[in-house]
Amino acid sequence: MWEREKINQPAPASPLFWRLNAQVYRLIGSKCSDCGHITIPKTMICHMCGSLNQKDYQLPKTGKVHTFCINYTPPPGLEAPIFNVIVDLDGGGRYLGLITEAANPEEVKIGTKVEMVFRKVMTDRGLDIYGYKFRLAEEG
Amino acid sequence: MSMRGKVAIIGVGMIPFGELFHKSFEDMLQEAFLNCVKKVDKGFDPKDIKAAWIGQWSGGFIGQGSREGTTLATVLGLRGIPVSRIENGCPTGNDVLRNAVIGVASGAYDVVLAIGAEKMRDKPGVESLVAAGGGGGGTLGMHPSWMLGMGGPVIQALYATRQMHELGYTMEDYARVAVKNHHNGVACPYAEYRFEVTVERVLNSPLVCWPLHLLDCCPQTDGAACAIVCRADLAKKYTDKPVYVLGSHTAVEVKDMWDKPNYIEMLATVNAAKGALAMAGVKPEDVDLAEVHDCFTNTELMNIEDIGFCKKGEAAKLLKEGYWNRDGAKPINPSGGLKAHGHPIAATGLGQICENFWQLREEIEPKERQVKLKKGIALSHNVGGNGFGVSSINILGREP
Amino acid sequence: MSGIIGYGVYVPRYRIKQADVAMPWGSFGMGEKAVCGWDEDIVSMAAEAIDNAVKHAGVKPADVGALYLGTASTPLLEQHVSPILAQVLNLSPHAIVLDFCGSVNAVGTALSQCLIAIEAKKIKCGIVVGTENRPVGPGSDAEVNFGAAAVAMVVGTEGTIADIEGVESYSTLFYDRWRNVKDPWVSNYFDLRFDREYGYQKHIEEACKTLMAKLSKKPADFKYAIFQQTDGRLPAGAGKALGIKNVFPDLTPAIGDVGGVSPFLCMSGVLDQAKAGERILLSSYGSGSANAFSVLVNDNIEKKRSGTKTLEKYIGRKAYVDYPAYLRIMGNIKRVPY
Repeated sequence: MWEREKINQPAPASPLFWRLNAQVYRLIGSKCSDCGHITIPKTMICHMCGSLNQKDYQLPKTGKVHTFCINYTPPPGLEAPIFNVIVDLDGGGRYLGLITEAANPEEVKIGTKVEMVFRKVMTDRGLDIYGYKFRLAEEG
Repeated sequence: MSMRGKVAIIGVGMIPFGELFHKSFEDMLQEAFLNCVKKVDKGFDPKDIKAAWIGQWSGGFIGQGSREGTTLATVLGLRGIPVSRIENGCPTGNDVLRNAVIGVASGAYDVVLAIGAEKMRDKPGVESLVAAGGGGGGTLGMHPSWMLGMGGPVIQALYATRQMHELGYTMEDYARVAVKNHHNGVACPYAEYRFEVTVERVLNSPLVCWPLHLLDCCPQTDGAACAIVCRADLAKKYTDKPVYVLGSHTAVEVKDMWDKPNYIEMLATVNAAKGALAMAGVKPEDVDLAEVHDCFTNTELMNIEDIGFCKKGEAAKLLKEGYWNRDGAKPINPSGGLKAHGHPIAATGLGQICENFWQLREEIEPKERQVKLKKGIALSHNVGGNGFGVSSINILGREP
Repeated sequence: MSGIIGYGVYVPRYRIKQADVAMPWGSFGMGEKAVCGWDEDIVSMAAEAIDNAVKHAGVKPADVGALYLGTASTPLLEQHVSPILAQVLNLSPHAIVLDFCGSVNAVGTALSQCLIAIEAKKIKCGIVVGTENRPVGPGSDAEVNFGAAAVAMVVGTEGTIADIEGVESYSTLFYDRWRNVKDPWVSNYFDLRFDREYGYQKHIEEACKTLMAKLSKKPADFKYAIFQQTDGRLPAGAGKALGIKNVFPDLTPAIGDVGGVSPFLCMSGVLDQAKAGERILLSSYGSGSANAFSVLVNDNIEKKRSGTKTLEKYIGRKAYVDYPAYLRIMGNIKRVPY
């Protein structure tokens, strides 16, 4: 966990997080009605084609690993090795994040099925900021 | 728009890059500037400079406050002229030159200064570039839900994995880039790390971020470099051998990793190259040598392909055949690149300009480093910024 | 009658052998316990339990009128943690969102209060979530025993799978475990026999006896009995005192003492297998307060078996951490900056 001690960083109570948390916690992004591009957080203008026809889009919590790396020198507060991934979400769109609870590098490959879990991503000044990480998909 | 025949570079200067613990940001600016001014063939009076652009990326980030034009005006005695700061990620250096070139090409100024300097090593690596975006939320104004643990090596490693998957590249291929560039850097007096490495040594160095090893990554470094840009028709006043700016372009792409269409090319580079080559009216095959942004070894292979020096997926094979060697068909990073020099962000691109200036005038030191010129055209390239979404390219030539 | 519409649980993947915790301090331990991972806490555990419960219940966020969170492990004295979960769930800002804290009976209290709100027709349905990861001091008895888990229940009147026939509480002034504002860890009086007889057993017995009397039920009417699993011995003792034999199997050797979560975690285990018409007696206990519930499984149970991961599945998936890792996860030792 990143325990931020630098006063020049926005605190969890700051408007920066207040603005973003609703979209992050609920996984609300935008989907372009013209080119179909999906992104998060929400946008009024498509990042890909510039169209203004954007609809709110609920990102799914499941997908497959598109690419990954294994970081042995993560910033302070994270336990090495950490698995950074870009995930192809089911139904379109991608999400950049970390895989949690993976211990063995062999477990993560391109195409590995993953699911999102709500986890603590930052601790600062007695408050925690949460977000989504991926976990190797588990059967119900 | 063609720029040919309008803008020339009459002098360049830089300081040896390295861990310059004993030099301040201001010291580095002054030294690079004096190195430049002293070497202008027919002499140069700094009072001729009518505008300046300073490249600076890390000031606030390293905790030394924002560096504005005022710093430059103060330490170089350039009071009274317009000085603007440029920050455009890792391409800052080449983008500074581009802004200076536009300033001259527009007819607004006759002689201008393009300078970049970076003080990276006042902080340990763990607190600077490696950790950039690492905590998320704060530094890049992004939410840690998607920026946690992100940093330069992570972004490139995500590309590198995909290059391996789609193009069949291997970690040995990446290591060969380090071998070539470190070999080139041994003789370069401006390089930080002047030693040879072998494929085995690269592969046995600690894993920073699989698939990238320590020796696949460029170091964090202090440095400064500059160029004096002048109207082409006035250049002969300062030197009989000006180097001309043929094309200059910066392109941006989506910054967020999840927005990108693929991870085997960087569209910013593709578009910057298209723009700069079109402006210069030349083709990739006309370029004699290129300094490209080898912040990581896999990045160099991607750059070579994205600029158009070969087809996608062929760079590694040609590397193995020696095609990109200093004495090969198309020397890439004959200076040793970022691998050997380190990467003082805003100074990096201008350091490439210095190298190309000297190569094109055939006055590179020591002589063994001189690349055989054919058409007298050299290219410099940076790519970086958030999600490696910015690229800046300058093409220089012996003839206008 | 109001009851359980859906339920979900969460047990972290990580386990530590209780002996690994105890041995360095010259003590001993027999089983293992569930511990949070590096990026887990009471909120993240609750989020997954709620996710499972909402999927099981099939309710829409707009229908949920209350989110009651019970925990003895909150890191915040001022500021509730339940609003984080309400935001994840996209509950209406008009929903009642509350933390119940300060006792391992808080989850039982949260459930009884939610039932009162439903009976009073203040809300149509509510979510009760219990989540525990109590701070433990190095070398303490708590460090060997306290585990981590979460449980969530969607409670309401429509579409229930098990109905709550009655609730009874029994509360007196009794100190067994406490954590002062200035204390990082739980303290206890450590007279086990006094705590057992006059604390746990007395309160549970009184609450259950009164509940049975009010409902005119005998011990034999209950197919299962679940008593808060503080350790392996206490629930058996309570069952004996009440004359009930079929006490739910002890989970503490697998996941440790998960505080207020434990009786409802056990209830999920019962409901996973229960048949219509079976009756469960359940009592939570903490800090001189017990809440007893009588739960009657109804006909819907077969039609609405949970498709999410069961307690058994969660307990089955595991990876072990060693004691130094556990000390670091719990914040009991810290790395110097470099």
